[in-house]
This record gives sequence, structure tokens and C-alpha cells, in this order.
Amino acid sequence: MSTPFLSVRNLHVDIETNRGLLKAIRGISLDVNEGQSIGIVGESGSGKSITLKAILGLLPKNARITSGDIFIEGQSLFELSEKARRQLLAEKIGIVFQDAIAALNPVLTVGTQIAEIPHRRMGWSKEKSRDRAVELMTLVGIPEAEKRLKVYPHQLSGGLRQRVAIAIALSGNPRLIFCDEPTTALDVTIQAQVLRLLLDLRYKENTGIVFVTHDLAVVNEICQEVNVMYAGRFVERGNVQDTFQDPTHPYAYSLLKSAPDMDHQVERLFSISGEAPDLTKAFVGCPFAPRCFAVSDLCRSTEPDLLPIRTSLSACHHSQNYLDKLSEAKA
Amino acid sequence: MKNKNYSFYLGIAIISTLAFIAIFAPWLTHYDPIGQNLMSTLAAPSRHHWLGTDNLGRDVLTRIIYGARIDLSIGILAVLFPFILGTTLGLISGWRGGWFDVILMRIVDTTIAFPFYVLAIALVFVVGAGPKSIILAISLVGWVAYCRIIRAAVLVAKELDYVHAAKLSGLPTSRILRRHVLPNVISQAIVFSMSDIVLSILAIVSLGYLGLGVPIPTAEWGSMIQEGQAYILQQWWIPTIPGVMVVIVGFGLSLIGDGLVKRLNK
Repeated sequence: MSTPFLSVRNLHVDIETNRGLLKAIRGISLDVNEGQSIGIVGESGSGKSITLKAILGLLPKNARITSGDIFIEGQSLFELSEKARRQLLAEKIGIVFQDAIAALNPVLTVGTQIAEIPHRRMGWSKEKSRDRAVELMTLVGIPEAEKRLKVYPHQLSGGLRQRVAIAIALSGNPRLIFCDEPTTALDVTIQAQVLRLLLDLRYKENTGIVFVTHDLAVVNEICQEVNVMYAGRFVERGNVQDTFQDPTHPYAYSLLKSAPDMDHQVERLFSISGEAPDLTKAFVGCPFAPRCFAVSDLCRSTEPDLLPIRTSLSACHHSQNYLDKLSEAKA
Repeated sequence: MKNKNYSFYLGIAIISTLAFIAIFAPWLTHYDPIGQNLMSTLAAPSRHHWLGTDNLGRDVLTRIIYGARIDLSIGILAVLFPFILGTTLGLISGWRGGWFDVILMRIVDTTIAFPFYVLAIALVFVVGAGPKSIILAISLVGWVAYCRIIRAAVLVAKELDYVHAAKLSGLPTSRILRRHVLPNVISQAIVFSMSDIVLSILAIVSLGYLGLGVPIPTAEWGSMIQEGQAYILQQWWIPTIPGVMVVIVGFGLSLIGDGLVKRLNK
């Protein structure tokens, strides 16, 4: 197989907090191929956003990558100088943030902001950059793009703003887009439109997508592969169909069960009892053990590794057992 | 909700009227602000001298008008320099952080710890009285406020998503600072500068009153108050009117400042 476009190897990130050292990311690996769409799901504080920030070099001052490596097209980011690293990331990766209000500069017109990268970084002429801005705005489905060039962000609706943010992310012709919960702040109809847009882009431009969210339905919609994150590690990875059908990790199973399902009416939604472990404190065994329905003594003493099972990877000692039981139950 | 922001326009009206008077002073009065007429000293207000004359027979209205020139222009310059200096340093300090920030903030703390007038008077003594030294003195003390305001705003702004995005998209730092950070942090400094002009005019007038300001006989409100105070019981208007002018300027600028806050928070 060829080199993956983006490759993260055994990444660890520590955050200095006033409660002590927080081990936010505890050894994750991830490969994204050209044009592939990958979802990272997990609850708040599981380390999803920190993962993206670590790759992009946007970690806050109190956070630090302690070990691991990140490659873009086989080139290690840590072997590059700060400047070269920024240059490489700028050329290859675009980012769409959760909050489209904060993602746009309030004092510049949207046209200026979309044309900024072609004009300033890629050295295109003013006219060519402007035409490119119109083209991008049309691509992301902003009607009357020509007219809207001179509009300020606050004059646009939330959905249009997020489209502008996507247009800006695309303006540098990235091969991969990082989406940090871009649909969370939008209402459901707009959310669907933005998702469709991202899907279209993947087909048309073969742009890869890394989609971070806590919304399982969204992952189901646009991702090929899903990574479930818990307490700073991936606990399950698999293609979306299989994982959503038969999750191999108890956490993934519980997570799916706690999402509302239109087809089956239930009295009360399932909820996972307990809470995620405090990562500033040392713990032994599987971090999910205190909340797990299939917990055993082994789980309390040894943390499982992410190992292949069926078509997926799962970090659970009992995946096989648990799957067998599940299929028995079905049969 | 009706929100006409009347105070803002009233402030603009007051200040532009004063600015108009200051700029067109030679056309508004035919008297010489320093021309003495010892034949008619301490005259009461009349058709020829609307605000009377002082102890050397100089027309008080004319001196008020020419005084506006001096006081307003020095006041504005004495805010412009610290504004530029403080904003630039605050921008770099907030953006870069590290040792630069630490050292600069200690300098700021030290400057703030000094009483303003003590420092200003000491500086004027060293450099010598006159407009240049007043501007220098006020600038050397005044920049710290802008530096702090801008630095604090930059600390917030640099964590905003669009600044992250700009950083990530490989734009040069100078452009990020100029186009994405500065325009979004400068408004607070502009609002502050309005009240700062009031303070700097007060400082000029106070220094003038203490004899450390613009050297006499140049018409200047502070020295007019000082020279006129001997006559406050008989010709009360001589020292009072310049004081009233200071109040009016302060009032107008404060209205503009408040109005700007309202506008920017909309």
C-alpha cells in the first residue's frame, strides 16, 4: 500500500493544568489516505479536538506533545523547521471550526477573506483571486456570490457563514480538511446542507476529510471510517457500516445505544452511568472499566491494546466473547 | 428600541466647533493674542472686548481662542504618540509573549507605580518647559495604558478561530497582526484615547498653571488661569473662562467616548 496522506504515530499530549498534569492523549495512531473521510467521535474531554490541534500545531501554551510522530505524505512534521512545518500544513490542510462566528474576521468582507490566501500566500493577482473567491463561493453553494463578495460576516445567516468558512478552508486547495464539529452550532436543516456540501466536495475534488464530532448520526452520514475515542485513546476503529451495525467495543456499543433511534420507540434513552476518568490521576486497567457492563478482573488490572477483530480494531479484552454472545443472542 | 446616540453627536458637535474655532482663530478675531494695550487693562466685557481684557490689556476672548489652538493640538499630539507607541508594543507583547512580554510588563508596572504629575514635572524640569517637553513627558507616561489595553485584547484575540485559521493558512505574521488582530483590538484603545485627551489637556493646563507648560506670553488656558487668579475677586471672568473651556472640552470628549462605546457594543 502507498504511504498514507496523513499519518499519526503513537502520539502523546500532556496538558499542564492547575490540578496537575493531564494526559490528554495517550498514544494514538491514525492514517488518512488521499480522499478518505474519517470520523473521530467521543464525549467532551475525550481528546478529539486536542488531536486535531496537536496535528496542526495549534496547541495552547500549556499543552505539549511528549512523544509520537506526525507525517504528511511521508514527511515527518517534527523534522521540519517551524516555518517549513507551517508552510507544509498551510498547503495541504484546511480547517473548519465549530463556531462560524468566531471563525470569520468581523472587520473584513467575506470576499477579502476568501481571496486572502490565493492573493497573499499563493501570489495570485487581485482579479484572479477575486474570481477564485466567486468560484469557491459558488462551489460551496452561496447564491449570488458576486454580490456577496462585499458583505460582512455579521450580515450573513449561520449556515451561510459556515459555508464561507468552508470556502476559506478550501481557498488554499488543501488535500485534506479538518472539521472540528462544524455542524454542532447549526440547526438540523442547515446541518444537513453543510454535510451534503462536504460530501460533494469529497466526490468532486477528492478532498479528504477528518471529521471530529460527538454526533454519531453525522459520522454515519459522511465518513467511511470511524474512530471512537475515550479517555485520550482510540477504543474502536472500523468502517462505518460494520461499526454502527455491530460495535466491537462496549463503549461504542453504549454510545450507539444512547443515541436516539427513529425506528425504535423507547421510553427512556439509554445512558452510560458514571463519568469519564480524571486524566490528571493515574489509573490502572481499562479506563472504561468502571462504567462497563462486561467488566472483569482483567479489565481492572490491565489496559487493553487496540487489536484487530473482525473488520475492525478494538481495545477491549472481551470483544470476542462479547461479540459471540451478541451473535448467539441474535441467532 | 430607539437608540439615537444623541450624546455621541453632541460630543462631536462640541469638539468640532472648538476645532473650527482653533483652526480659524486668525479669521475670528482681529486682536493679537499677545498684543498688549496698557491703556485699557482689566476692562469689563464690552462691545469691543466681549470677555474684557486682562491686566496687560490683552483681549481675553482672543487669548481663549488662540489658547484652544495650543491646548487642543498639544492634547491631541500628546495622545497620538503614546497611542501609537503603546499599541505597537502591546500588540507585539501580547502576540509574542515570552521574555519580551515579561520585561515590557515590568517596565509598564514600574511606570504606573509612579505618580503621573511627579514624573511629568520631573521630565519637564529636565528637558525644559515648552510644548515638546510636555508631549514627551505625557507620551513617556501615557503609552503604558494603551500597551496594557492592547496586550490584554490581543491575548484574547490570538486564540480566536479566525486568527488560528489565518496562522494555519500560512499568511505572514505581519499581515495576520495588521489585518486580523489589530482591527479587532484597536477599538478599546480608541475609546480610551478620548478620555485620555481630556486627561492630557488637563495635564497641559496644570503644567501651564504651575509655570512648567508653554512659556508665557503665548496664550494658553493654564497660564491664563494662573495669571488671572490675582483678579478673581474683581474680574472673576479672567481666570474662570479658561477653566470653563477645559470643562467644555472634557465634556465633549467624554460624550464622544461614551458614544463610541455604545456604537461599538451594538
